[in-house]
Amino acid sequence: MSAESLDALWLSLRVAVLATALDAMVGIPLAYLLARRNFRGKTLVDLLVTLPLVLPPTVTGFYLIVLLGRRGWLGAPLYAATGFTIAFTWTAAVIAATVMALPLLVRTARAAIESVDRDFERAAHTLGRSEWRTAWEVTLPLARNGIVAGLVLAFARALGEFGATLMLAGNIPGRTTTVPLAIYTAVQTGESGQALGLVALLTLLSCGVLLIAGRLGARAS
Amino acid sequence: MSTPRLDVAVVKHLPGFTIDVHWTAGDGVAVLFGPSGAGKSLTLACLSGLVRPDAGRIVVDGQVLFDASAGIDVPPQRRRVGYVFQSLALFPHLSVAENIGFGLRDRSRHERGNKVAEVVERLGLGGLEARRPSEISGGQRQRVALGRALAIDPALLLLDEPLSALDLPLRRALRDELRETLAALRMAAVVVTHDFTEAYRLGDRIVVYENGRVVQAAPRSELLWQPASESVARIMSIPNLLRGTVVKATPNRIQLRWRGQTLEAVNSPARAYLPDAEAPLAFFVRPEYVRLIRKDRGLADPGHHMNVMRGTVVDDADFGTTWTLRIRLDEPGPPAQGAWDLEVEVPHLVYEILDIGHDREWEFSIHRGSIHVLPG
Repeated sequence: MSAESLDALWLSLRVAVLATALDAMVGIPLAYLLARRNFRGKTLVDLLVTLPLVLPPTVTGFYLIVLLGRRGWLGAPLYAATGFTIAFTWTAAVIAATVMALPLLVRTARAAIESVDRDFERAAHTLGRSEWRTAWEVTLPLARNGIVAGLVLAFARALGEFGATLMLAGNIPGRTTTVPLAIYTAVQTGESGQALGLVALLTLLSCGVLLIAGRLGARAS
Repeated sequence: MSTPRLDVAVVKHLPGFTIDVHWTAGDGVAVLFGPSGAGKSLTLACLSGLVRPDAGRIVVDGQVLFDASAGIDVPPQRRRVGYVFQSLALFPHLSVAENIGFGLRDRSRHERGNKVAEVVERLGLGGLEARRPSEISGGQRQRVALGRALAIDPALLLLDEPLSALDLPLRRALRDELRETLAALRMAAVVVTHDFTEAYRLGDRIVVYENGRVVQAAPRSELLWQPASESVARIMSIPNLLRGTVVKATPNRIQLRWRGQTLEAVNSPARAYLPDAEAPLAFFVRPEYVRLIRKDRGLADPGHHMNVMRGTVVDDADFGTTWTLRIRLDEPGPPAQGAWDLEVEVPHLVYEILDIGHDREWEFSIHRGSIHVLPG
């Protein structure tokens, strides 16, 4: 395997792992809130989180540029303050993958949390646990398989992210060229052998991930 | 009764359903009894603090847990309520010992260990400490749920249909076991059930619910012999719940007309129930208190037998130790209960000696004390 391919693989794995970790930190509490709480703007939050699942990835990527680009709503103040721009860095690839994978985690984890019998939580409350301790000691452990299945799906999605990454992070070899982007480049430049190798690798990885997710999902239900 | 241990007044509006109840209970176990959907479980939820009533006041052993007008609402975490859920709600990811010790998080490890061991011992769960709830039997699960509730030394114990998940033989065994445990603990306890036998076995005081209201609250024996109304008797599924017409009422006796008979029943001066003549009257006759008159002993003695009637056994059913006979009176007009007028229960031996299987025509009598008049 060529050095570029290895670079792309290493970058993809780093991006996918980081994106999955970020999704876990944001997505699991979010899934809990959506499953168990009623709050103002719940529908809006649900909509925003789910949107990347149905929008073309380039559209999501475009919104991310509007938000995080050098002249973006958040990007401009950040650039003014630090001289750093997220766009076209590997951080951008992480953010694009995080946003694209989030709905898969949130939807799966939310369904798992909603399926936990509320009597378990009620019992924990009468046994002295606050809502948050109950979530930590009872609800989330009981929804564990569903949550892990959601994380696995999110990881797979992050690993294969293409459109939004291309929009926000570009395709800079060695810096933002993840495996899907490397495949695209290889095909465009006629290096079909290299493309084939990466395609096979990504297919294998995704199959493995799906098998794990399926097994966890089956155990959760 | 001096100061009641439990004083519960709760009003709660839900979409399409409202409960508005007030009852008290002294020492011993209070049973909330009534059909499904009457508001019994909702009352438990209010007692535990998991559901906040719209109005009312809840006092347990002098401690105010909820008082809408005073703005008091102790959260469930601090009510020290041991709650055994109908679903049991044992944490499936924790062992038996971890389940029992779940409410003891703020105690030291040593103290927690002792308490769990004590509960395990009391409920006969030794050897199962490391098992998961899915790895023990239904009866053991029920005990673990009780143990988890008892481990926190609750000020109030709540049991919601505690035996409903068990099959009948185990249910009976655990019912008596539960009765002994509750009697030994002497803490305020409230049990919810829709099974009258269970209510009677477990409760010292029975509170009858119907449609979000209390229709009667009484010591269990009083409820059994003096249901407050026809609707209470119906909720209790009392057999031979009948309707007649008043002939004459005095403080000690009521004469009534039913299916062409004039019957005499006991009235109680204490309740001062004196309906007008010709008023409709509900009453019930316990099937085990109807006496068949033996044909080999000559004519019925009017001094010994009262309220004598004649009828035909149109149906009978074997209940193992007793037979239930369905008797149609030899009177014109439609029978009171579908195809028959009265259910009569006789011991197996009597059924055999009198050869009721073949001999279907009988005279029988009911003592006036066994006709229970229900005030309207």
